[in-house]
Amino acid sequence: MTTLSRRDLLRLAAAGAAAPLVPRGVAEASAPAVPLAAGRFFTAAEMALVDELSELIIPADEHSGGARAAGVAAYVDGRLAEYDPAIPELRESQEQWRAGLLAVDALSRQATAKAFLEASVDERNALLSRLAVAETDPKTPEQSFFVELKDWTAHGYYTSKIGIHDEIEYKGNTLQGEFAGIDVATLPPVKPVGD
Amino acid sequence: MLPTLESRIAEPDLKRVYDAVVVGSGAAGGMAAHVLTSQGLDVLLLEAGKKLDIESELKSMEWPYDHPRRGQMPYTSHALTRNEYNIRQPPYAKGMPWKTVYSYVQGWSGTDYSKNIVVDEKDHPYTGTSYAWVRARCLGGKTNIWGRLALRLSDYDFKAKSHDGYGEDWPISYADIAPYYDKVDLYLGISGHPEGLEHLPDGRFQRPVRLTVAEVKLRQSMARSGRVLTPYRAGVTTDGVKHNKYRSRCFGRGACNRRAGGCDIHAAFDSPTGLIYPALDTGRLTLRTGSIAREVTVDPAAGKARGVSFVDAQTGEVLEARAKAVVLAASTLESARLLLLSKSRQHPNGIGNSSGHVGHNFCEHLMGPGVGGIVKDLVGKARTLDDGRPGSFYVPRFRNLKDKRSDYIRGFGFEGGAGTKMFPARVQAPGFGKEYKKTVRDYAGASIGMSAFGEVLPRYENAVGLDPEVKDKWGIPVLRFSFKFGDNEKKMAADMADTAKEMFEEAGIEVVDSNREVLTEGWSIHELGTARMGSDPKASVLNQYQQSHDVKNLFVVDGSSHVSASCQNPTWTIMALCWRSCEHLADELRKGNL
Repeated sequence: MTTLSRRDLLRLAAAGAAAPLVPRGVAEASAPAVPLAAGRFFTAAEMALVDELSELIIPADEHSGGARAAGVAAYVDGRLAEYDPAIPELRESQEQWRAGLLAVDALSRQATAKAFLEASVDERNALLSRLAVAETDPKTPEQSFFVELKDWTAHGYYTSKIGIHDEIEYKGNTLQGEFAGIDVATLPPVKPVGD
Repeated sequence: MLPTLESRIAEPDLKRVYDAVVVGSGAAGGMAAHVLTSQGLDVLLLEAGKKLDIESELKSMEWPYDHPRRGQMPYTSHALTRNEYNIRQPPYAKGMPWKTVYSYVQGWSGTDYSKNIVVDEKDHPYTGTSYAWVRARCLGGKTNIWGRLALRLSDYDFKAKSHDGYGEDWPISYADIAPYYDKVDLYLGISGHPEGLEHLPDGRFQRPVRLTVAEVKLRQSMARSGRVLTPYRAGVTTDGVKHNKYRSRCFGRGACNRRAGGCDIHAAFDSPTGLIYPALDTGRLTLRTGSIAREVTVDPAAGKARGVSFVDAQTGEVLEARAKAVVLAASTLESARLLLLSKSRQHPNGIGNSSGHVGHNFCEHLMGPGVGGIVKDLVGKARTLDDGRPGSFYVPRFRNLKDKRSDYIRGFGFEGGAGTKMFPARVQAPGFGKEYKKTVRDYAGASIGMSAFGEVLPRYENAVGLDPEVKDKWGIPVLRFSFKFGDNEKKMAADMADTAKEMFEEAGIEVVDSNREVLTEGWSIHELGTARMGSDPKASVLNQYQQSHDVKNLFVVDGSSHVSASCQNPTWTIMALCWRSCEHLADELRKGNL
């Protein structure tokens, strides 16, 4: 978990405060056919935004479904809903997600004069690219939020049925009479030297 | 249908004097229970923790998506991070807001399956220098989740002083212990491939694991310089052990890569099914869980051990179990703590400690340096089944065997693996979108990595003692650490990292991670040597049969007896030594020598 200072969180929240998260207008083609209901932690609007952000990070492609089909938004929502705010690190994580989503929308309005979910796919990708530039060493709260967003999305996706079976095509967790792989007895023996 | 284990666990009769009382039910305690009952002794086994319904804890084949938190422990629990070990001092959990605080092992995957096995740091504090101490208090201890690498030591280890002049030789040689390694192999089952190495003797192996394409590539490349990559020697029965009805053979299932591990069909050795349940079936073993040993009691007249004083975890009541022989098997550090806690008129520095060596010469294995890479010709290839192996590969030591380096003594080995795991290896790939997704997919089967385990030299000044103030949940003084890696370890670590990278590059593997940083002391969970064996009672605590020089009816049969750490994982040696010592104990008891 990326740890943010309280000051970072306040800045992150302030970045989004000017523009409350109320998506309007018609959703893009990639949005879910049925609008997402409010989650246990997120509002309906927040759920929609998390759903779209996660799908941008791990999209459906010709190989398999993406984060949307894998239910990543519900995974993130369920996890945050179980976070006990009495524990400061968990409360900060909840605050970071709320503030981060506000900030994404605010940055979108700055750049395109549209809420994130109203921006075009290209505009959304451009905004996410800006947040992703420093993912190995995030400097701003928005960049840190991207790292968290990607980390949770990857965890939610690659532990899902779609992620494990359709995407990675993992073949294990099954019974095997004999181990798969190459029998070392069929290889030439090593003549050990030792230094 | 088997009678339930509960129906065979009788409440011990504490008025009775048992032949032996054993403290601890891990690899050493389980083995002591097995050997002593086989020898016809009546044994009482005390375990501090609970007996868990281990199959329902481990759920080895549960998919992440079938678990409400994808296998994670409740979010109000916290696993200490690498950074916290660096910036905080023990007791680490002090002042933390989390409901439960665990050691770093609960930061791996699948932590909901091991949360009841490892201890809550809040209840089990310790003080002093940085140390990542991992403890399991439940029937079977750490054997419930161990890494399963089952290796022998050789005379390069037992006679290391004769080889390079440092430290002390063990009071035994390989020839003394080899028959007991064989017994352990045959009784418990071990998987491996014979390589004929003098410094890593072969065992009585069952079916070995197989290698992936990437692992074969590395093996063939290393062979050119006379170095060996061998299938993981796992303390796992791959062909089955017909004399044990509690264990299945390995079926190559999926959760071996989920760490902390555990095997719910008990193909991997664990002390309860491998040793303790069969010992209970002899009718000569009495097991008492929830019994926290606090002192070895002493017969005031003879000065011999009288039994063990323990706290009942439920009631807080202090009780005493009496026996003709006391066998400590509480783990290297807990056994040293018990010896130091057992102060009496006859043993003012703690029982068995006239040498002053109890708690000292503490050694272990160094971890951290290693390498991660990509095999280019496997990128984007069709998926194969690479998982379900109890382990992947091991690279035995090659340093300071024939030639001697000028910069450091002793050696290291590597544990590694390659291939597709349930959770893909390269989720840290940069970016997002279709390209990111494809990268993760294409690289999932092309990843290979290995990390080193190196010998930490035993030094008198590396020690544990009792903290004069801090006590645990049961009011028992805790350990205070004074333990630091030295110059030899630092130089070895640099060589580990350089060598790992070189070996990958020579094999044509693209290096993507090169780790040089040494992990916090304790990380290997291989703590050893706090009550070492030796022939000189002034410079050692135990004789070659793990018997106290001072107190003839006191034995310490766990890793605390080891004279040096070697670089091989210790569990198999702990059990082989324990077997040998317990035969001796039974013999001496019959002769009336205890």
